[in-house]
Amino acid sequence: MSATSHGAACGVVLGIVVVIFLQQTSYLSLSDLTPAIEDLAIGAVVGGILCGLIGWLLGRSYLARHPPQGTAGP
Amino acid sequence: MADAPVRKGALLTVGVVAVAIAGLLLATPFSEAGPVSPRAGPASGTVSNVLTWNGANVASNGGVSSALSIDLAQQANVRYNWSAAPLTGGPVTVSDARLQMFYFGFAVATRDVTISNPMPSLGGNIVLNWTPIAVSYVLGGAYRLTASLLTPNGTTVWSENFYVKGNAPYGILAVLPILLLLIAVYEAYLLARSGRFATRSVPPSAPTTPPASPESAEEPSGAPPPPPPPPEGAT
Repeated sequence: MSATSHGAACGVVLGIVVVIFLQQTSYLSLSDLTPAIEDLAIGAVVGGILCGLIGWLLGRSYLARHPPQGTAGP
Repeated sequence: MADAPVRKGALLTVGVVAVAIAGLLLATPFSEAGPVSPRAGPASGTVSNVLTWNGANVASNGGVSSALSIDLAQQANVRYNWSAAPLTGGPVTVSDARLQMFYFGFAVATRDVTISNPMPSLGGNIVLNWTPIAVSYVLGGAYRLTASLLTPNGTTVWSENFYVKGNAPYGILAVLPILLLLIAVYEAYLLARSGRFATRSVPPSAPTTPPASPESAEEPSGAPPPPPPPPEGAT
C-alpha cells in the first residue's frame, strides 16, 4: 500500500466521520435516507481526494528524508 | 524503468476520475435544507391541527436552521389540538396520536397515544408526554420529527414534519459524538504516518547482486580474483 492510497483510505473514513459529526452538532440533518447517503458519499470522496494528496506529499517528504536502500545517490 | 510512465498514467487517470466524481457529487444540492412542507395524509383537508412542544408552536420549525432547540434529557409535553373542517369532511374519528424521530430514514424513536374508545368528533385535544432520556445518552444533533394523527383503520388524517436540535450534555457528551471524535483523532494520526508507506511503493532501482555463476559460487565472496595463468614459454 502506497502513501497515497493509505492517505486516501484515511480520508474516506475521516470524510464520513466529519459528516456524521456535523449532524451530531446540528449543522446538518441526516434524517432522510437519500440525501444522507449523498452527503456521506460527498464527504468520503472529498476526504479521500484531499487526504490522498496529503499522503502523497507526506510520502515525497519522507522519501526525501529517508531514501530507500539501493537507490542512494552518489 | 518502464513502470514509471505507466504508474504516472494510472495515477493521472485515477485522479481525473476522482475529480470528475467529486464534481458530480458536489453538483448535487447539500441536504441542509430549507423548510419542509407538512406531509399531508390522505384526508389532510379535513383535519387541521396546532401542534405545540412544551407550549411552543412547531409550525415555524420546518428546517434545520430553524430547528427547535430541546434538551433530550427533559420530558417533552407534545399537545395535539386538532379540529375537523365541518364543511368538507364532517366529524373525524382519531384513535392514535403518533410522534416519530427519524435518522437515516428510519424511525429511531416512536411514541403513540392511543385513544381507547374513539368516537367521531369535530375536534379534540391529545397530550403526548415523551422523555427521550435513552436517546440523549447516544445521540445529539438535528433530527426530523413527524407528528401524525391516525384513524382506527390506520389512515393518516394529518401529519407534520418539524426539526428539533437535541442538545447532548456539554454539547458532545453522548456516545456517538465521542466515538466519532476518537475515530477522527485516530484516522488523523494514521494520516500523519502515511508518509512512511512511501518506501513500500518504491521499487528497487538496480539489483544489488549479480546472478552467481557456478564458478564464483564455490569461492568466498570477498576473495580476490585469481591471477591470470602465465603465458606458455615464459620460463
